[in-house]
Amino acid sequence: MTVKVALPIGELKIDAEKVVEYLCARLREYIFDYAGKRGGVLGLSGGIDSTTTAYLAARALGAENVFCYILPTSVTPQSDITLAQSVIERLGIPRGNYDLINIDDVVNALTDKVKSENRVIKGNIAARVRMIILHAQAAKHNCLVLGTSDKSELTIGYFTKYGDAGVDVMPIADLYKTQVRQLARHLGVPEEIIIKPPSPALWADQTAESELGMSYELLDSIIYLRFDAWLSEEEVAARLGISTETVERVVKMVKQTQHKRLPPEVFRLSRRAHGSDWRYPREWR
Amino acid sequence: MPKDEERGRVRIAIAQVSTKIGDVESNREKHIRYIEMARKEGADLVVFPELSLTGYLMKDVAYEVPKRCRKALEEIKEACREIYAVIGFVEEVRPGIIRNAAAILGEGEVKCISPKFYLPTYGLFEEARYFMPGDPLKDVKVVHGRFGAFGTLICEDLWHPEPAEALTRLGAELLVCIASSPLRGLNTPVDGRPWIDHAWSSLINATALTNSVYVVFVNRAGPEDEEFFWGGSRVVGPEGIELLRCRGMAEDFRTCDIDLTENARARRFSSFRIHLREFHKILSKI
Repeated sequence: MTVKVALPIGELKIDAEKVVEYLCARLREYIFDYAGKRGGVLGLSGGIDSTTTAYLAARALGAENVFCYILPTSVTPQSDITLAQSVIERLGIPRGNYDLINIDDVVNALTDKVKSENRVIKGNIAARVRMIILHAQAAKHNCLVLGTSDKSELTIGYFTKYGDAGVDVMPIADLYKTQVRQLARHLGVPEEIIIKPPSPALWADQTAESELGMSYELLDSIIYLRFDAWLSEEEVAARLGISTETVERVVKMVKQTQHKRLPPEVFRLSRRAHGSDWRYPREWR
Repeated sequence: MPKDEERGRVRIAIAQVSTKIGDVESNREKHIRYIEMARKEGADLVVFPELSLTGYLMKDVAYEVPKRCRKALEEIKEACREIYAVIGFVEEVRPGIIRNAAAILGEGEVKCISPKFYLPTYGLFEEARYFMPGDPLKDVKVVHGRFGAFGTLICEDLWHPEPAEALTRLGAELLVCIASSPLRGLNTPVDGRPWIDHAWSSLINATALTNSVYVVFVNRAGPEDEEFFWGGSRVVGPEGIELLRCRGMAEDFRTCDIDLTENARARRFSSFRIHLREFHKILSKI
């Protein structure tokens, strides 16, 4: 079954073949040459971002060097788990390279410790527990942790700081959600996963688009026009035929979550501190 | 000196290499290997990319490489007795004052040092933060090699018409542009090529055409932190025709035979001979 997902604006159409070739080459270089590691570890949710990242990783590194973990809680839909398992099977991830680990006990124990029933707090604990497990698996298998964030979610801060964003490298984070869908189609990701409403599944019935109050087609168009094409908020609204308030709401999310995309602030005391004075490349010899 | 019938014939070697940031010593060894390869191929000139000895996105490492660069050049020049080489490095002109520069080695010596004039400082670029720009009145230099006269431009210098025009009018028969151009616009290519490739093609071809001169463009290939240098080095003739193109996105080594006497032929069908200085007077008053 192919369901046509309308592109928001023409500028977001990608040449998926070129992007795949490039990202695979970058992944190989980063993991094998720069980091000197065996492969990549990632958390599989049954959603489009982690599935696409797994497909890319398997193509770039070989299925034998990809480790996939399904880390559900009691609020994770069984259908998501089934989809994640089907991805492992389709990609031929060998036995010993994957596991299904229910994290309810750990999440509940931690939630009890902080004495909160707040679902956001509990959801963030779940995201951070996953992060801890993935890093432990990476250490065990001499791998890096592959992030699965896309550019839409990274830009509006729709992620858990030190949770799903606590990774070593983010292969698809310069692609908006609507572009990840194009990439997923090219890679042969099952259509069921591509059209499934995106959700962090941090609590029952959570969906990204209902939380954001708009579709990814619209969100991506707004972010692209405001930040990639540098249009003013009024110009973006006029181009898309929407209210300026809608654009402002997105821009506010971007601004308010800037701290999530940066290392923590270090208050200046010395003559040279980490942060603005400390400018070295990542690859530093 | 070449025989009369060979005058103007030049074999250019392009070393489209990847470089390790700040690892001058390992980069030096790579240069020596490629120079030897070019020499065996009978090349007159071998060209490396911008900052080929040091890497491009050095940030504060830039302050710590000049002495190591100077030492490396002293060693590399020994490999350049029968061949000329253009190499990118960081030059310390006065204590603590550094420039993004090209060293032209040949006849076993450092023949010339040409600094970059236009320092990009926008987006990911922060060159003006570290480097002093070259002074056009002192630093526009044409090198007279055994095979002919050539001048060097560094990356952004080709995005402005004056450096190329000055070098050509001072007698350069070949413009060598060394670059570290990072990939932009791969996800939405036009005619199968990323935006940045189109931008450079326009500039290189226009420079060759407007000056009726050969242009050799040599870009880095490979990753540096998040960035990726896309290669695509090439040789363009004085009529704006591409004569050789290296592959994109990966290291490459190619040679190309050119005939510098073609410049003169191309100028019969161009207005290169006319140079209206009054335009420069206007520009100097803006």
